[in-house]
Amino acid sequence: MEAVSPRPAEAVAEPLLALSEVTKRFGNFAALSDVSLDLRPGEVHCILGENGAGKSTLCNLIFGVHRPDGGGMRYQGAPFLPAGPADALRQGIAMVHQHFSLVGDMSVVDNVLLGRERGILDRKGCARQLAKIADQYGLPLDPFAKIEDLSVGERQRVEIVKCLIRDPRLFVLDEPTAVLLPAEISALLDVCRRVAAEGRAVVLVTHKLAEIKQVADRVTVLRGGRTVATSSEPSKDIDALVRAMIQGNVEALDTSAASILGLELVAHVDHEPAAKAGIEALQIDGLTVKDSQGVTRLDNFTLTVDRGEIVGVAGVEGNGQSELTAVLAGMMASTGGRIHLGSTDLTGRSPKEITAAGVGIVPEDRHAVGCVPGMSLAENIYLNRLDEFTRFGFLNRTALEREATTLMQRFDVRARGPGALFSSLSGGNQQKAVLAREITLPNLSCLIAAQPTRGLDVGAVAAVYGHVREACSRGIAVLLVSSEIDELLTVADRIVVLYRGRIMGSCPADPARKDAIGAMMAGQPL
Amino acid sequence: MTAVNQERSFAAALRYVLRPALLVPVLAVAFAALVGLVLIAMIGVSVPKAVAAFIDGTFGSPFALAASLNRSSVFALVGFGFVLANRANLTNVGGEGQIAVGGIAATAVALYGHVSGFPLGLAFILPMLAAVIAGALWGGLAAVLKVNSGTNEVISTLLLSFIGVWLLYWSVQSPALLRKPMTSSATLPESLEIPDATQLPLLTGDYSFPVHIGLPLTLLLAIVVGVILSRTILGFRLRAVGLNPAAAKRAGVSYARTVIFALSTAGALGGLAGALMLLGEQYTLKDGFSSGYGFDGLVAGLLARGSILGVIAASLLFGFMRSGGINMEMVAAVPTALVVVIQGLIVITLAGANLFIEKWERR
Repeated sequence: MEAVSPRPAEAVAEPLLALSEVTKRFGNFAALSDVSLDLRPGEVHCILGENGAGKSTLCNLIFGVHRPDGGGMRYQGAPFLPAGPADALRQGIAMVHQHFSLVGDMSVVDNVLLGRERGILDRKGCARQLAKIADQYGLPLDPFAKIEDLSVGERQRVEIVKCLIRDPRLFVLDEPTAVLLPAEISALLDVCRRVAAEGRAVVLVTHKLAEIKQVADRVTVLRGGRTVATSSEPSKDIDALVRAMIQGNVEALDTSAASILGLELVAHVDHEPAAKAGIEALQIDGLTVKDSQGVTRLDNFTLTVDRGEIVGVAGVEGNGQSELTAVLAGMMASTGGRIHLGSTDLTGRSPKEITAAGVGIVPEDRHAVGCVPGMSLAENIYLNRLDEFTRFGFLNRTALEREATTLMQRFDVRARGPGALFSSLSGGNQQKAVLAREITLPNLSCLIAAQPTRGLDVGAVAAVYGHVREACSRGIAVLLVSSEIDELLTVADRIVVLYRGRIMGSCPADPARKDAIGAMMAGQPL
Repeated sequence: MTAVNQERSFAAALRYVLRPALLVPVLAVAFAALVGLVLIAMIGVSVPKAVAAFIDGTFGSPFALAASLNRSSVFALVGFGFVLANRANLTNVGGEGQIAVGGIAATAVALYGHVSGFPLGLAFILPMLAAVIAGALWGGLAAVLKVNSGTNEVISTLLLSFIGVWLLYWSVQSPALLRKPMTSSATLPESLEIPDATQLPLLTGDYSFPVHIGLPLTLLLAIVVGVILSRTILGFRLRAVGLNPAAAKRAGVSYARTVIFALSTAGALGGLAGALMLLGEQYTLKDGFSSGYGFDGLVAGLLARGSILGVIAASLLFGFMRSGGINMEMVAAVPTALVVVIQGLIVITLAGANLFIEKWERR
């Protein structure tokens, strides 16, 4: 896969964009401090770092979303301070954001024309241009397809084409591979190389080492808003780069955490066999969900999770995972099928009853469903069990904070104290708090966790999976929904693959089956 | 050493007094008052005379003081309801209608409920309870609409307000309802005066200082509402639903019950405010009974930004301003509308200043 097209000679070109000692603060928080960086024409420059390291802030400075508080930028030799994204675009800088900005109801051509239209829309001309770009970079697209009907990978192609049609000199991609299938990732990296080969500068933001090995000419590592390492021979320096990124020892890394980074020490870890294995805990039988338009989102989903077993649900996002977890949590009504926990029928029960039955839920969107950001940590840790701290309607805050402090220690939740505002915690600590709440339910017998490590740094990932494994060894049945195959391969016992709401197939969590799982995620049955 | 300490504690006290939360409202009021004085001068009225009339109307006599305090109680009750519902991220703008239906219910029970003979104060407590129930139903109706069909409570409480006020007109216009028997064509569209026993007892028993038991009742409710909001599971649920309804639902809090509780309690407080106005001061139900007090109470609740003490402060301010304004019109011929202008200026200045402070702190 390496070096798809010949790399430009090592001759050091004049930098296209140079940042010198750039600083960006939000209130008292320095998102970037004294970051210097130069981007040369013809190179793929990877920005590596964990969540919260300042990668997105850096992109947003370049693209004119934010203005630096200190330091300066030079673009093509002249001082550069874009007034906004429109200004940056005009000057030849294009960016693909982490979250797509497409109008779902409009066609590909219309989305490409959006913001570029002048008087009369020249759809045919635009379609011709699209075809040319498609040819040039290997980005096939039906110009008149509606965005809604496209897969996530195709939508991203539209975003990329939207940028390339402007003939940018600098092309920034902010974590573009997070939502893609393995095959789509390779294709995207290939496009990056082709774009760079034309003498454009490409900035690729990522936290996956495999991608760096595959495509990067140079790498800059950010940690805590500072440049902590740079390398012009990344494939030789991988270990040093990882150490710089996570400030720790690669060998000591938890395997599940390593899998997130795409390190190749991935091997399946057998957790301790649970005493109660073989006893059915969660039984989902023919679960079906149709949305208000009558579209089937989840189709006849049948799955049994035994006590002490971790079953992974793999799949590209938007293939029914959200509906599955929402129904299991009692937040959405199913249109068919039944859910049992042991002998208890949980079909159509309220969230409160489901919690009382012993089902812990770590929702995929912790901000929307998992917590109340405007409340304190203690209140969030006991959000579903506040009755235990209530006498005659009065809330005993002293007891609440005392108990919360105990849980904070047990789950290593770091905050100023139990009274700290939940939104002031880092993502990792928030997730640990949500997990603490769900995993310490008094009669927990089943844990359903959706994307539990999204947005977490390596240490937090290891902690989260440590607790999940521990719960499992106590005989808890665990259903783990994730779009990261590597993560599922290291943590789960068994994997089922969701595609367009159906189970495409299931197989043991064996790293050797990764390609088969990837194929199922793309809709090819075993 | 002690001198230094004293200096330090003085500096600390100064900082406390000068903190934005206290300083900004004071400056806003001062600014609005200044503009008011300029306006008075511009319409050609002697400023000292107008100011004297204003002060006379607020603190000038025991009667004026009592009238201001009674009025402030009404504003405060509506304001407490606003703050309580607002904790659940609900905006109750229906105070006016809730006062109206409270007034109707209180009048009906006081006049035709045969309660005059009841002992232990039941003669006035029962009409008050009727008003509370009427207000709670009026607020609860908006809650049910919201829970069942997602109707925005701002719209429903506002529209229910108009219905409440028109119900009141109907009640006092129709002899079949509460209008007093028509003896001549000049009989005013109003109810009979309620019996003495149903009128709220005065605190001092002295008619020259007619503060009724509504004032201590309001202070008691201030404590009750404050404790509910800060110490109880009810207050917690309101806050959780207000901040994140989805997470609250997941954690087992009933959204429907919480919304119904919040809006019907706010309505009950509005209804009680109506009862205080009728049983404590006006004694007869007339059209124009609610006289915009529901909206003044709403503004008091808005300005307080969630604080019960803030509601009390704003209610006192508005209560005294209204009294002073009325006297200013009678004595110095300054239109009462001027007081409304000043009140509006205070609101705009405060809101603007708070916005400015928030932006400045976030910088």
